[in-house]
Amino acid sequence: MPNIIACCKWVIDEAYIRKGPAGALDFSTVDYKISDYDRNAIEEAVCLKGLHGGSVTVLTAGAPEAAKGVKDALSRGAEQAFFAGDPSFNQLESSQTAAILGEIIRSRIPYDLVICGEGSSDQYAQQVGPRLAENLGIPCISYVQKLTIGEDGRILAERRVEEGVEVVEAPLPVLVTVLPEINTPRIPGVRDTLTASKKPVVAIKKEELPPVGAARLQTMGMTATRMERNCEKFAATPEEVARFVGALQKLGVIS
Amino acid sequence: MPGVWIFAERNDLALELLTVAGGLASQTGVKVTAIVPDQGDQADRCIAGGADEIVLLSPLGEDMSLAAWIPVIAAEAKGADPDILLIAATARGKDFAARLAARLDTGLCSNCTALHREGDGTIVMERLAYGGTAVDRVSCSTRPVMATIPPRTFAPAPADTGRSGEIRKLPLPPSTPVRVIARKTKDRSSQDITEAKTVICVGRGMEKEEDINIARQLAELVGGEVGCTRPISEELHWLPDDLCIGLSGVQVKPDLYVGLGVSGQIQHVTGIRGVRVICAVNKDENAPIFQAADLGIIGDLREVMPRLIEELKKATGR
Amino acid sequence: MEFKLTEEQELIRKNMREFADKYVEPIAGEIDENSRHPAEVFKRLAEGDWMGIPIPVEYGGAGADYLIHILAVEELSRSCASTGFTVSIHVGIACMLVLLNGTEEQKQQYLLPMAKGDKLGAFVLTEPGAGTDVMAATTTAVLDGDAYVLNGTKTFTSNGPTGDTYMVFAWTDKAAGRKGMSCFIIPKGTAGMSAGTHFQKMGLRSSQTSEMVFKDCRVPKANLLGKEGAGLVMAMAGFDHGRVGIAAQSLGILQAALDESIRYAKERVQFGNPIARNQAISWMIADMATELSAARFLTYHASWLKDQQRVFSKEAAMAKLYASEAAMRHTIKAVQIHGGYGYCKGAKVERLMRDAKITEIYEGTSEAQRMVISGNVLR
Ligand SMILES: Cc1cc2nc3c(=O)[nH]c(=O)nc-3n(C[C@H](O)[C@H](O)[C@H](O)COP(=O)(O)OP(=O)(O)OC[C@H]3O[C@@H](n4cnc5c(N)ncnc54)[C@H](O)[C@@H]3O)c2cc1C
Ligand SMILES: Cc1cc2nc3c(=O)[nH]c(=O)nc-3n(C[C@H](O)[C@H](O)[C@H](O)COP(=O)(O)OP(=O)(O)OC[C@H]3O[C@@H](n4cnc5c(N)ncnc54)[C@H](O)[C@@H]3O)c2cc1C
Repeated sequence: MPNIIACCKWVIDEAYIRKGPAGALDFSTVDYKISDYDRNAIEEAVCLKGLHGGSVTVLTAGAPEAAKGVKDALSRGAEQAFFAGDPSFNQLESSQTAAILGEIIRSRIPYDLVICGEGSSDQYAQQVGPRLAENLGIPCISYVQKLTIGEDGRILAERRVEEGVEVVEAPLPVLVTVLPEINTPRIPGVRDTLTASKKPVVAIKKEELPPVGAARLQTMGMTATRMERNCEKFAATPEEVARFVGALQKLGVIS
Repeated sequence: MPGVWIFAERNDLALELLTVAGGLASQTGVKVTAIVPDQGDQADRCIAGGADEIVLLSPLGEDMSLAAWIPVIAAEAKGADPDILLIAATARGKDFAARLAARLDTGLCSNCTALHREGDGTIVMERLAYGGTAVDRVSCSTRPVMATIPPRTFAPAPADTGRSGEIRKLPLPPSTPVRVIARKTKDRSSQDITEAKTVICVGRGMEKEEDINIARQLAELVGGEVGCTRPISEELHWLPDDLCIGLSGVQVKPDLYVGLGVSGQIQHVTGIRGVRVICAVNKDENAPIFQAADLGIIGDLREVMPRLIEELKKATGR
Repeated sequence: MEFKLTEEQELIRKNMREFADKYVEPIAGEIDENSRHPAEVFKRLAEGDWMGIPIPVEYGGAGADYLIHILAVEELSRSCASTGFTVSIHVGIACMLVLLNGTEEQKQQYLLPMAKGDKLGAFVLTEPGAGTDVMAATTTAVLDGDAYVLNGTKTFTSNGPTGDTYMVFAWTDKAAGRKGMSCFIIPKGTAGMSAGTHFQKMGLRSSQTSEMVFKDCRVPKANLLGKEGAGLVMAMAGFDHGRVGIAAQSLGILQAALDESIRYAKERVQFGNPIARNQAISWMIADMATELSAARFLTYHASWLKDQQRVFSKEAAMAKLYASEAAMRHTIKAVQIHGGYGYCKGAKVERLMRDAKITEIYEGTSEAQRMVISGNVLR
């Protein structure tokens, strides 16, 4: 009966970022969400629990507002959460996140398996999982599209790599990072959300943790990517489609 | 010891990294070290591509994963203290890089698409953030400065066969608890979409798998290749995933891209920024793809495709 | 005073948004075109406890605030007003009628499967000759031994062809006037009750509307809801709840119209500029956004009063009146902003405009709302 930890990040929903003048990014109306692939991580943990029993704990570090994300995560089937919230944890860099999560896991949560998303929707640095495994001193299996726990407590994982699939096996404890195709995350029902509020959340203050090191990477500037083209639109009628093909010819892209 | 190191699990990618490494190393007059698997004439080709020192990784046992080298390379890097370490951003490479960065307690710029040295010596690296909405420029305050670089971001370094370099071999690392028990190579798509002059991209607007044939027909007509969005490869498995275009797939830069039933979410559009002419067919006139396109047909694929093929036949005389 | 949803409310709203985007938006055009009841969507709604949000857990619901139900109807209606309405009338009227007036047995037998979403409820009041004027109804229920025998014809019954559990109103004592009408819970399959074929409507096309015919339909005494003669009072209380739902439906329609209008106005270029650069267009959008906010506050306030167990008849009527009329006004503008494209099938605003109209008609026309409101304030 494995004790599983699913890590998740509360991120800006990129769909709400607006582009200001001169390439500036406007975050004034953004909303937040659980990073897309972390939902797959939670879902996988909950599915494994369904098969093997055990427990699912969600773990997150972030700004205090991420408390809402903790509730969201709990509504997806985990039974408890550990949450390190502090205003200074808002824009953590991968090395810092891994250090905080590692510290909390080592000192507070017994585990057999840690599941992270492949990468986060905001930074998509794809580092926290592997860095956390190093921090915990356990094997890391990344880019996993299929996961099974065997009778013998060994884990069998299909990793997706460039040339195909690498099937690997390892004794627990391990950390895996999952790809979105591993499962389809549920949309929590109304009761799932309401009962989430009643599940235990262990809040961890910054002061309870060893000092967090400086960020290893510094952002020097962020600019909006521009991709606006002036789209000429055509209807679906035969005449319009012919005109469309004519336009392609004029641009010299078909011959 | 100052120096620029590269690590790639494949030769073609090593040569791409050497293009950047060579440039950076020449600015400060340091050496380029290439860490590559010991395969065929890898070492010679890397030397021809600009490496001064080659560190060869002996072939691993069948059941060992590339990650077994992490402690060995970490020890090497700790000993030699290079300035910069660039790693090819394959799945294994990215995993390798993050764990190595953790061991070296340094920063890592993932999926770095551009990097240069500022006047004060700072290495500035660019990467995408928020699914491709923004470009994040970062620098690293610790040594070595690390970055993973996606395949085909840079052209391969040209061969200069007159060059020479040192070659040394690392001893095999001890085995790890993670054992590889099978490797399945997938049927790779026959052609490389990153090289194609025209890419026909199918999205979830395609009703059924058979409809991909219509896209193929179109591709044949205009001498192009078929690519796809992530849902097509990852969720529906209608096409192999090396044909997926975008943030987590490949970047394409053809003269012509035609998106069929592609909504144009930012993560996909990020992969087609370099296209000369972007076209889209979508029944939803508000689909974001139209903001990224030069020409767009608003209509149902079932209606548009036969007409489009007919008109293209007329136009191309095929 | 705090103008803020709770975290739960926000999360649930977001989940419904995701649900609607995933399962409803893609089929909304098709079910409108074909007047199809999307049974597959309702199965999923049931799985997520969306079909009985304000009903206590012991009766199969989610045991949440009425406001959460309102948020769900709003978000659902943003993708498809028909689907949103079906949930609204099922929960807001059919389920609420049994919850507020039923016996324990009736709640177990009828409310529980409805609130779980296994059975779909319907509200059967309007007759060919009795619309706004409910008192003009002619359907009768005559006690005969241990059963009432119903005779008459009802019309415009939403979920008529697709429902399972019908709340039917009939005279038990016409002479008693407002105290002479009673309500009966009649399950599908009861001999003597039949649904007609569904009407082809201008909008709200995937919601199934039909006649209901009662011919010597015997309904056991145990199926009388509340007291004999209390039907009209119960119906009016049902309307109070239902109307907040229709206001929410209107909000969803209006929000969708605003979303579509903003997108299109920024994108459509005429005279070398996006049409949003013209004040004539941008001011339409300003008004739309403003009235949407006003309607939203009225609606949430009415719902909040309900959750505080305060009287909310007047506020429900105000919310419905204002939100539905705002939805109608601005969906017309949304089509205007879209020009000819907005007038064609396939444009979402075209459907929104047709759907908006019904919100001014059912569960009391705008005129009827004004009667309720004026009756209240002139009292
Ligand atoms: C971290 C991250 C990384 C990602 N990386 C990638 C990536 O690398 N590449 C990628 O592609 N995606 C990526 N995604 C997913 C991306 O966000 C989108 O979900 C995806 O691109 C959408 O694919 P689509 O356009 O095929 O499908 P949809 O968004 O479902 O769009 C289908 C489109 O088809 C149209 N349509 C439907 N029927 C018809 C018809 N009959 N005729 C005409 N049009 C029709 C619809 O109007 C719609 O616009 C990533 C997401 C995340 C979070
Ligand atoms: C799609 C649809 C679904 C429906 N679903 C249901 C349902 O599930 N259950 C149900 O019981 N009914 C349902 N109805 C019926 C609906 O509630 C009635 O249509 C509505 O109450 C109006 O009644 P009527 O159509 O007979 O119009 P009438 O009452 O004939 O009204 C015609 C016009 O006269 C106005 N008017 C009437 N009396 C006055 C007055 N005294 N002063 C000023 N103006 C007045 C009205 O406002 C309206 O403008 C539905 C109707 C539709 C169209």
